[in-house]
Amino acid sequence: MKLLQKTIRLYLLYSVFILLVTIPVFYYVIQNIIRESVDEDLLSRKTALQENITARLRLQPGDSLVFLDQDLELQSSLIREPFDSFSTEELFDVREKEMIPHRFLRANFLVNGQPYLMQLRTSLLETDDLVRSLVKVQALLLLLLLGGLIIINRHLSKWIWKPFYHTLGKLREFNIEKEPGIELPSSPVTEFNLLNEAVTDLTGRAHQSFTLQKEFTENASHEMQTPLAVLQSKLELLMQTSPLNQEQAGLIDALADAAVRMTRLNKSLLLLTKIENNQFPDKEELMLTQMLEEFSTLYQAQVQQKHLALEFFFQHEVVLIANKVLIEILLSNLFGNAIRHNRENGRIETHLSENKLLIRNSGVNHSLDADKLFHRFQKESTDSNSIGLGLEMSKKICALYGYHLSYQFENNLHEFILDFSAGALPKQ
Amino acid sequence: MKILIIEDEIELSKSMVNYLQRENYSCDIAFNVREGRAKIESFEYDCILLDISLPDGNGLAILKELKEDNKLDGLIIISAKNSLDDKIAGLNLGADDYLPKPFHLSELSARIAAVIRRKKFQGNTVLEFHELSIDLSAKMVLVNQQPLELTRKEFDLLLYLVSNKNRVISKNAIAESLSGEGAHLYDNFDFIYAHMKNLKRKLANAGCREYIKSIYGMGYKFAV
Repeated sequence: MKLLQKTIRLYLLYSVFILLVTIPVFYYVIQNIIRESVDEDLLSRKTALQENITARLRLQPGDSLVFLDQDLELQSSLIREPFDSFSTEELFDVREKEMIPHRFLRANFLVNGQPYLMQLRTSLLETDDLVRSLVKVQALLLLLLLGGLIIINRHLSKWIWKPFYHTLGKLREFNIEKEPGIELPSSPVTEFNLLNEAVTDLTGRAHQSFTLQKEFTENASHEMQTPLAVLQSKLELLMQTSPLNQEQAGLIDALADAAVRMTRLNKSLLLLTKIENNQFPDKEELMLTQMLEEFSTLYQAQVQQKHLALEFFFQHEVVLIANKVLIEILLSNLFGNAIRHNRENGRIETHLSENKLLIRNSGVNHSLDADKLFHRFQKESTDSNSIGLGLEMSKKICALYGYHLSYQFENNLHEFILDFSAGALPKQ
Repeated sequence: MKILIIEDEIELSKSMVNYLQRENYSCDIAFNVREGRAKIESFEYDCILLDISLPDGNGLAILKELKEDNKLDGLIIISAKNSLDDKIAGLNLGADDYLPKPFHLSELSARIAAVIRRKKFQGNTVLEFHELSIDLSAKMVLVNQQPLELTRKEFDLLLYLVSNKNRVISKNAIAESLSGEGAHLYDNFDFIYAHMKNLKRKLANAGCREYIKSIYGMGYKFAV
């Protein structure tokens, strides 16, 4: 849910709540105020009439008086105590032809020691209409307010949040490898300014540390080449010395193996850096079937050594536009892994269909951790010849060309699937 | 045979000199471009080993000058960069080979031998060791004048051993020379033993003396 929707939703809920609560409250409050004013009016009429009536009764004593005013009645009473009482009653109105609420004031008083009850009434029809109108006006006002709020929120907020979405877009497009950081325009809103400053600072530092790390790997690998060359050459000279006994030979052999491994590791790290630096810009059309067949002859000896059954299923030719060296590295990594991590008398199947290459091989009888597999130095085997950079390199090459490399374990076979469909394909 | 080594890393150039002198090459060393130029002007060399990154400039400059002066006999670039661009640039300028650092001395020696053979003898070389003779242009091996059938790998292996005769060659160097980058795909060195066993058996059956010796499992030596 968008932040905007969330606030609007809260506003709406609050407004509906206020509407539901205030309309009845408002209704009763207004009604009471009007009732009070009606009662006051009745009382003041009563006071005026009482004097008038008392004067008339003194001249013309009797049980009752007849008035022209229908709302006024007077009759003798049985109660001697003087009192005023208010009540609301419904009366049938001939003109409106319905029951109409009326306010009654019954006043008991003594004239010449004789008790009389005066009844004054006033129709509440008008005041009820007034209350209803007032409530309607209020409801309308609230609705207008609510509607206005929503509209303002929707339009004004979009405008206000614009710098935020701009920053977000920039962040999303940010490429740590290429951009030295994000430059953002200053905004009149303090919060956005703070955000933009933080983003600029953070991306700048991220890029810097990325570059430093890359440079470090590159320099370290480069600087390592010469001492490694010295080490290796001295070991070879040591091999030529005589006399040499079995123990010394064993030590030299172990050292030579370690030196070769270090050399290989170093070369791979350098290659990885070069791929990251995009130092393989040349592209050409590559026929996959042809390249795979070349690999099968290239690795014939290794395949025979392990007695592996090698099967090719070419359903479709795939032509890639890419750097030949990189694709050779990619294929030899996948193919090489299928050989290296295979078991004796195992098998390798290579399926090539439209936009997809699948290399399936036997090996350990459990699935590998697909999440960790493609990361640097994640080695599944204890094989010292495996240096743990091959799959990361493969992934990097795929990323460069928009291919997708995935792993799955099915029927006790390890499958690496190379999907070319998102990559650049040659013109038909 | 005279070789000039233009390499700024003293220990590495010493190693190369040490190894190559045993092959009866006479070696000169230059530690920078200036010294290299001086040596090239004063002497004739059969092969020059040239490092690209030198303290006072790029080794490729020397290569360019040699080409312009038509003095380019045999030249192998040895570089720590191992960049394809350098390799292509070097080979285009007329270098005979490109060897990325770190390398095996035995590999260097084999490459130098190949360059010299190509330049001096147009590849028409027959290497002879008593009853064994190896015809490089025809890729033929004769034992007591009788042709010996060898596979491509066995021939390469024999040639590599012969190029480093009387030297111990490590298993790793043999593996890399035989299979290039694919060497790391072998679980162990069984495949070398297999090729070596076949080669030795074929030579022995043809009546050849046992020149190839295993040195404590560390490597092999072609001893004559």
